[in-house]
Amino acid sequence: MDRPTLHPMAWIVWASSAGFVAFVTTDPVYLFLLWAVSWFVYAGHRVDAEHARSFRLFLTGAVVAVTLRTGLVFFGTVSAANTTFSFLEGLRLGTILVIFGTFNAVTDPFGLVRMAPRHFHEPALAAALALSIAPRTVAGVGRVRDAQRMRGIRIHGARALPALAVPVLERGMEEAHTLAESMDARGHGAGRRSRYRPQPWTGAAILIAVPAIAAAATFLAASVGGWAVLHPQTSPMVWPEADPLLLAAIGLLAVPGLVGRPER
Amino acid sequence: MSDALRFDEVTFTYPEEGRPAMADVDLAIDEGSFALAVGPTGSGKSTLLRATNGLVPQFSGGTFTGRVSVDGRDTLAHAPRRLADVVAFVPQDPGASFVLDRVEDELAYGMENLGVDPAHMRRRVEETLDLLDLAGLRDRGVRTLSGGERQRVAIAAALAAGPRILVLDEPTSQLDPQGAEDVMAALQRLVHDHGMTVLLAEHRLERVAGWVDVAIGFDRGRVRSGTPAEVIGHLGAGPPVTRLGRMLGWDPLPLTVRAARAAAAAAPQPALPRPGPARNGAGHGVVVEVRGLRASYAERTVLRDLDLDVHEGEVLAVMGRNGAGKSTLLRVLAGIHEPSGGHVRILGAKPRPGVDVGLCPQEADELLFNDSVEHEVRATLAARGEAGAADPWLAALGIAGLAGRHPRDLSAGQRLLVATAAVAATDAPLLALDEPTRGLDPASKERLIGFVRAHASRGRAAVVATHDVELAAAVATRVVILAGGEVIADGDPGSVLGDSRVFAPQMTRVFGPGWLTPEQVAEALT
Repeated sequence: MDRPTLHPMAWIVWASSAGFVAFVTTDPVYLFLLWAVSWFVYAGHRVDAEHARSFRLFLTGAVVAVTLRTGLVFFGTVSAANTTFSFLEGLRLGTILVIFGTFNAVTDPFGLVRMAPRHFHEPALAAALALSIAPRTVAGVGRVRDAQRMRGIRIHGARALPALAVPVLERGMEEAHTLAESMDARGHGAGRRSRYRPQPWTGAAILIAVPAIAAAATFLAASVGGWAVLHPQTSPMVWPEADPLLLAAIGLLAVPGLVGRPER
Repeated sequence: MSDALRFDEVTFTYPEEGRPAMADVDLAIDEGSFALAVGPTGSGKSTLLRATNGLVPQFSGGTFTGRVSVDGRDTLAHAPRRLADVVAFVPQDPGASFVLDRVEDELAYGMENLGVDPAHMRRRVEETLDLLDLAGLRDRGVRTLSGGERQRVAIAAALAAGPRILVLDEPTSQLDPQGAEDVMAALQRLVHDHGMTVLLAEHRLERVAGWVDVAIGFDRGRVRSGTPAEVIGHLGAGPPVTRLGRMLGWDPLPLTVRAARAAAAAAPQPALPRPGPARNGAGHGVVVEVRGLRASYAERTVLRDLDLDVHEGEVLAVMGRNGAGKSTLLRVLAGIHEPSGGHVRILGAKPRPGVDVGLCPQEADELLFNDSVEHEVRATLAARGEAGAADPWLAALGIAGLAGRHPRDLSAGQRLLVATAAVAATDAPLLALDEPTRGLDPASKERLIGFVRAHASRGRAAVVATHDVELAAAVATRVVILAGGEVIADGDPGSVLGDSRVFAPQMTRVFGPGWLTPEQVAEALT
C-alpha cells in the first residue's frame, strides 16, 4: 500500500462535484464522458490491488444498475421513448456508482475517519467499520468453505448452510466484539486526540479541488439558468446536445488524472 | 518500589456460569517486573489478564467483587479507555484487534487517541518499528500479514502508545522459535532499560521461563505467585528441562538449558550413552507423493519444485520460519489449493479433501458450527455417510468429558482439540495438522501427541506444520525444514533438529544431537 500523497478532502471535493454533475444531467454524452473521466482518474491514482478489486465491483454494480433500470420498462408499456428514458435514468445512477467506486479506490476509508471533526468521529467510524464488514465476510466465507471441505463437508444446498453461516457469523460477532474491546482498551473516545502524519494541502490537492468546484458550478449555472439542455428530450427522441462549455467543465474533472499521481 | 498492579480479594464469575473464573485472588506485581502467568487451559489466566484494564468485568459482564488497581487507579472506577495511558493489552487473536488498514497507522492509533504530539508520535512510531523489526512492513495492509507478522504488529501497536504496563495473552503462540526469542528479548529490554512492567500468559514455557523474574501459578481460579522455579515446580508442569530434573530428582529444578547443563554436570550419574537408533516408524507403502510441486498466491511463488514422499507410519513435521510456505504445503496436500506446477498424489490418486486427507487449519474455530462437541464430530461422520458414535474420536484426544458442552463455551485450546477430533473423524489415510499446539497446555499437548502416534501406528501418515520444536521432538519420525518455499533439510528428527541452532529442542541443547525428549534421556540414565 502506498501512503496516499493527497489530502483526502481534495478527493471528497472531487467526488461530490463529479457526483453533483452526474446528478443534474441525463445527457448520455456528458454521462459517458464522466465514465471515461472516472476511469482515467482511477487509473492514475488507485492505491493497491485490493482496492482495484472493489473498483471492479462498483463497475459491475453500475452496469447492473443500468440494465435493471432499463429492464423495468418491460413491466409496463414498452416504447422507444420510455425505454430510452429509463436507460438514461439508469445511466445516471450507474455514473454516480462509478464515481463513488473511483473515490473508494483512491482513498482509504479509515484514513477519512481520522480526519473527521471530533463530533463526527463516532458516526464516521461506524460508517468505516460497516464498509469493512463486507470484504471481511466475503473472505470469511471462502475460509470456512475450505475448512469444511477439509473434513469432507461440502457446502451446497440449504441443509449445509449452517456449516457455512454459523462459523462466519460467530467469528464475525467475535471479531466485532474484540475490535470494540480493543478500541476501548487503546483509548478510543478518551477525549484527547491528535493526528499522525496529517496530510498537508499540496499544490496537487488544490489542483484537484478547485477545477472540480468550477465544473460543478458550471453545471449548477446551466441547471438554474437553463442556457443548456441537461435532459435530452425522449418523446419525440432527439439527438442529445453537447454544449462546449459543459464539455470543458467535465474536462476539468479529469485534471486529477494528470496531477499528483503516486510514484511507481 | 510500588505495585504496578494489585488484586485485592478479587472473585469473578462469568454470566451464566456457576464456578468463579477467579476466586479470592490476592496479587501484587511490582513495578519493573517481568511476570509470567502459567497454568492449565481454562484456569483463569486470560480472565486475570483482561481484568488488568477493566475489560473484565466492564465488557464481559458477570459478578465481580474485590478491587483491582493499576498504577493506583481502580479498574471499576475507570473505563478501559481511561486506563489506556498506563496499561496496554494484546489479546490472544492479534488480527482481530486491528483498527486501521496500514501497519504504520495501526502503530499510531493508540497515540492519536491519547493526543500525543504529532512530531513525538512520528519519532515513537519509527523507534517501535525498529524495536520489533517491522520497518519492512510499514506500508503493508494489516490484513495481508502472516500470523507471526500480525503478532509482532499487535505487540508494537500496544508498545507504541507508551504504556507503563504491558499485558500479553500468549504473545509467542504464532511465532517461529527465532521470532519468539526476538520478542522476548525486546520485552526484556523494555523491562530492564525502561522500567516497564510486563505480564504475559504462555503455555510454551521453554520459550519464556528463562526470561521472566516472577511467575503466577493458576489452578482452577486460584493463584499463587513466587519465583518461576517455585511456581513451576509446584504446578508439576514445566519445560522439558524441568520435567527431566523432576524425573531425575534434581534439586533445585532447572528452568533453563543453562541451568540444566550445570545440573547435569554436577549430578553424580553414569556417562550418557550414545542415543539409540533414530526413531523410525516408516513402512514401505507411500501415502503421499509430491513431485516438482510449485504453488503460488496472487503471483507470489510460495513453493518451488518440491519433491517429497511420506510413507505409512510416518509422522512428518514441517518446520520453517513464519511465511516459509508450511500452511500452503498443507493446503496443497489437502487438495484445497491448486498447485501451479507438478503434482500431488495420495495413495496414487489426486487428493480428495475430507476423503484421503483431513486437514485441521490454523484457524480451527472456522469449522465449528454445532451446538455440542459430540455433534461436531457426528457432522464429519455424517458427511461420509457413517452413523457411528463420536465417543472414540473424543476419547482418543482425551476430551470425552466435553461431549455435551457447547464449543463456544470452551477455552481456545479445548476448541482446537475439538476441531482436531472433528477432522480426525474423516478417518483419512493422511491427517494434516496446521500448528496443532497453539494454546494447548502441557497435558492437552501430551494427549495430542499420543493421538498422532496412534494414528501413525495404524499404518497411516500424518503431516504436522509447527513452530513448536518440542512437539516435533516428541512426535515426529521425520522432519522437513522449509525456507523460501524450498526444502533445506529432510531427515530423522535427531539429525535435522540436532544440526540446527534455531530448531534444536532443549534436550539436544543440553546433551547433544540425538537426544530429543526428557523421557528418552531419563531412560538412558536410569
